[in-house]
Amino acid sequence: MPPPRARFSLAASVLIVALLLAACTGAAAPTAIPPTSPPPTDVSPADLTGRLTVLDWAGYDAEDFWVDFKSTYPKVNVSFETGASDADIYARMKAGDQADIFHPYTGWLQFYVDEGLVKEIDTSQLKNWDKVPDHFKAIGQINGKQYFIPWDWGFTSILYRTDKVPEGIDSWAALLDPKFAGHISMWDDGPGAVTVSSYLHGYDEAAITSEQLAAIKTEWTAQRDLNLFYWAGEPELVEGMKSGDIWVAYAWQGAYALLLGEGVPVAYANPKEGRNSWVGVYGIRKGTENYDLALKFLDAKLAEATGNNVVNLFYYGHSNQDVMSGISDETLKQAFSIDDPNILQKTNFTPNLTVEQRDAWTAMWAEIKAGP
Amino acid sequence: MDSPLLPAPRQRCRGAGEQERTVLFDRRATFWILYLPPLLWLGLFFIAPLVLMAAFSFRADMRGALLQWWTPTLQQYAAMLETPGYWRLLGISAVLALIIATSAVALAYPVAYFLAFRAGRRAGFYLVLLLVPFWTSYLLRVMAWKIMLGSEGVLNSFLLYTGLIREPLGALLYNRTAVVITLIYVWIPFAALPILAALQRIDLALFEAAFDLGATPLRRFLRVTLPLSLPGVLAAFFMVFIPTVGEYVTPLLVGGSRGSLYGNIIQDFFTKAANWPFGSALSMVMLAATLLLVALAARLVDVRRLIE
Amino acid sequence: MNARPGPSLLSGYYFGLIALLYLPIGVLFLFSINTNTSLSFPLQGLTLEWYQKLLDSEAVLRSARNSLIVAAGSSFAATALGTMVALLAVRYQFRSKGLLILLAVLPLIVPFIVLGVALLLLFRALQVELSLWTIGIAHTVVALPYTLLIVVARLAGFDPNLEEAAMDLGANYPTTLRRIILPIIFPAMVSAWLTAFTVSFDEFALALFLAGTEPTFPVYLFSQLRFANRLPIMVALAVLLMIGTLTLVVIAERLRRTE
Repeated sequence: MPPPRARFSLAASVLIVALLLAACTGAAAPTAIPPTSPPPTDVSPADLTGRLTVLDWAGYDAEDFWVDFKSTYPKVNVSFETGASDADIYARMKAGDQADIFHPYTGWLQFYVDEGLVKEIDTSQLKNWDKVPDHFKAIGQINGKQYFIPWDWGFTSILYRTDKVPEGIDSWAALLDPKFAGHISMWDDGPGAVTVSSYLHGYDEAAITSEQLAAIKTEWTAQRDLNLFYWAGEPELVEGMKSGDIWVAYAWQGAYALLLGEGVPVAYANPKEGRNSWVGVYGIRKGTENYDLALKFLDAKLAEATGNNVVNLFYYGHSNQDVMSGISDETLKQAFSIDDPNILQKTNFTPNLTVEQRDAWTAMWAEIKAGP
Repeated sequence: MDSPLLPAPRQRCRGAGEQERTVLFDRRATFWILYLPPLLWLGLFFIAPLVLMAAFSFRADMRGALLQWWTPTLQQYAAMLETPGYWRLLGISAVLALIIATSAVALAYPVAYFLAFRAGRRAGFYLVLLLVPFWTSYLLRVMAWKIMLGSEGVLNSFLLYTGLIREPLGALLYNRTAVVITLIYVWIPFAALPILAALQRIDLALFEAAFDLGATPLRRFLRVTLPLSLPGVLAAFFMVFIPTVGEYVTPLLVGGSRGSLYGNIIQDFFTKAANWPFGSALSMVMLAATLLLVALAARLVDVRRLIE
Repeated sequence: MNARPGPSLLSGYYFGLIALLYLPIGVLFLFSINTNTSLSFPLQGLTLEWYQKLLDSEAVLRSARNSLIVAAGSSFAATALGTMVALLAVRYQFRSKGLLILLAVLPLIVPFIVLGVALLLLFRALQVELSLWTIGIAHTVVALPYTLLIVVARLAGFDPNLEEAAMDLGANYPTTLRRIILPIIFPAMVSAWLTAFTVSFDEFALALFLAGTEPTFPVYLFSQLRFANRLPIMVALAVLLMIGTLTLVVIAERLRRTE
């Protein structure tokens, strides 16, 4: 005997679920966050309690990267959420992630301000702020306001094996050079490709026209035949270079320092068009109830011990200039071109994208990868 | 006979009519017990999210709050229609998935056969042995393979040393073939499972009957074993085919510049471009296409008849 | 029956496959006792220090524990739900049957990225905090098609006369289910459970999206990959898990044989 009304109950269940969803979406109130600590002036740092949540990239939850905060405020509970990419972090913040602090990189900063996701930072509360050079401070300013604190930074340039490319490399054109066919590795990123092309052809990165974009697409479609694989993370790149599969690559200096340290014969180019540089910043979520605590966290992030760990463990730069001038390791000095005081003048910093640019450039890259 | 078949004491004295009604009631009650949990679970944790994503595919862009009411637009689908590259890639992904599924099932059949009829009492042990490697990180295993097959890896070093080749073999990695081979390799143990389940329910008396009637082992296989194991073979085929259409991890690891499949494009729009509307549109198209293929296949093979 | 050359061919095939499956694991094992921090040949020296550091690393062990919890929980749920749908599919007739089966198998088609993002949205909308539970829920959904397919393959064409006989003798339907059908499909359920466990244990995409502050092992591994010097410890953990599982399996087999 067939059980009755099964179809009706199926429809009813779906309807109930839909109603539930609509009800919850409508009146969404933020999840209650545990009460914050009492005003800082009343409590000594060692006794200060509270909790902070940080949305950060994989690996940055290690205590080495917030050691100053940990030692100054040992009773504060810091927990981490992992974001897999800038797009992921951005999407999570849009989705209403309750993290107090998050860590985006240059190129994506305008979006957070436009969407009202980030709170202005009161830099007068940051004791380490004056150790940050002005051009780094400027990178964290959007629409004239200090929304972000610069923290880690680095170069992008061409990394190459000196034994396979003895003549050296002096231009970004090496990434598109048929001479290295089958041994090139480009970063898997559309905006990255647009950046390289703009350096090569002198386009204004902030104002790429659609003709220019079409030309960029053509040249990178041709490049695909020369490219062995696109790397998504530095370990992939490092293994590729070490194994001899890759001779020439678009790379950050972290990979350079790593390979140097392992004795692989590599060099980091100084292309005539100039290197690229990117900066990682920290922002405070608008609507956080832990603003003061978050400020303390950011202040501690700028401190020396933390900075030294960033440099020594990740081979990334730190925004505290005392940390940078205190570097003594030869490998790192080479990686950061510390001995070249004008290096930053010759470097092009990544500008922040607009929504249209982001959509157009990522779509272009996807079409290149999907092409025949 | 055995105790399970003895009637429970309190029912022994009932009349035939009452017994029938009780059984029907139990069957009906059992139906709801079996029906509601999966339904509610899937409704809440699968249908609801899917509907959300489908709604996203009709959204113009990512501006503003994620959860809000927006005027639906077809522009994402229009954008997809205008890009022939994506359609081509979807077709290629489907064809590759077909090849992979067929190969994996064909190669898994002997494994399932071995486990069902030759492994005897050790079958369970051998089965688990097959699956244990999958509890190691896939990432690490592929890394190990890449090291072995890379141009300065073990295989190439050996071949160069013995003089069989003059230059390292580049064709082993970073192309579509590598993706196909890797995926077949990965799917074989899983594909064996439904086939094994189907083979296990074949009554061995049928084999004896075949033998008595003078069938050679090959004939017995073709006329008895294979047809009876068909539900398992089909289940295995679909189990491999369907997720492989949207596969992205393996192409990312061993596919190289040309190895991107449709799943990689979807992945990129979500995790690199923060373009959920377009990513959702691409996903909806893939879902529809896969459903269509499966429906067509189900027509060709009368699935209903197989199950009941 | 009579001996034929077939068996050695078949078992050769099986063991050949096993060799191919375990070869990369053997390689990983070699690296885990290598003094060099990078995965490359030739090996530079033998050492157990990575295992030592592993046991000292609380975060690594916790991630492994998290993976075990999530996998165990989701596989039980998926097996239970999958068996329920399988029973409905084979034993009952109702109008929404096709729809239910389609629904249960549909997760196979949906890319994990899409499901992960969609579930993220859902949990946010419902004000549910991300945690191991949210990962487990997602894993149950994606493992359900597998458990369903495996149990259905066993149940299909299953002789209904056995059940009818039981009911004629007075057993009610739940009893029949419990004592006739379930024992017969039990091996398939175990297979299904194993599959669901496997699907969950190394799953990365959903675990990354839906993780709160507690990572599972694949997510943790991913995060540690940026540190080249941490890689050997992760390899050591992977090998340790492998050895541990294999030991359990071999012990179980030994126990079964002595019975």
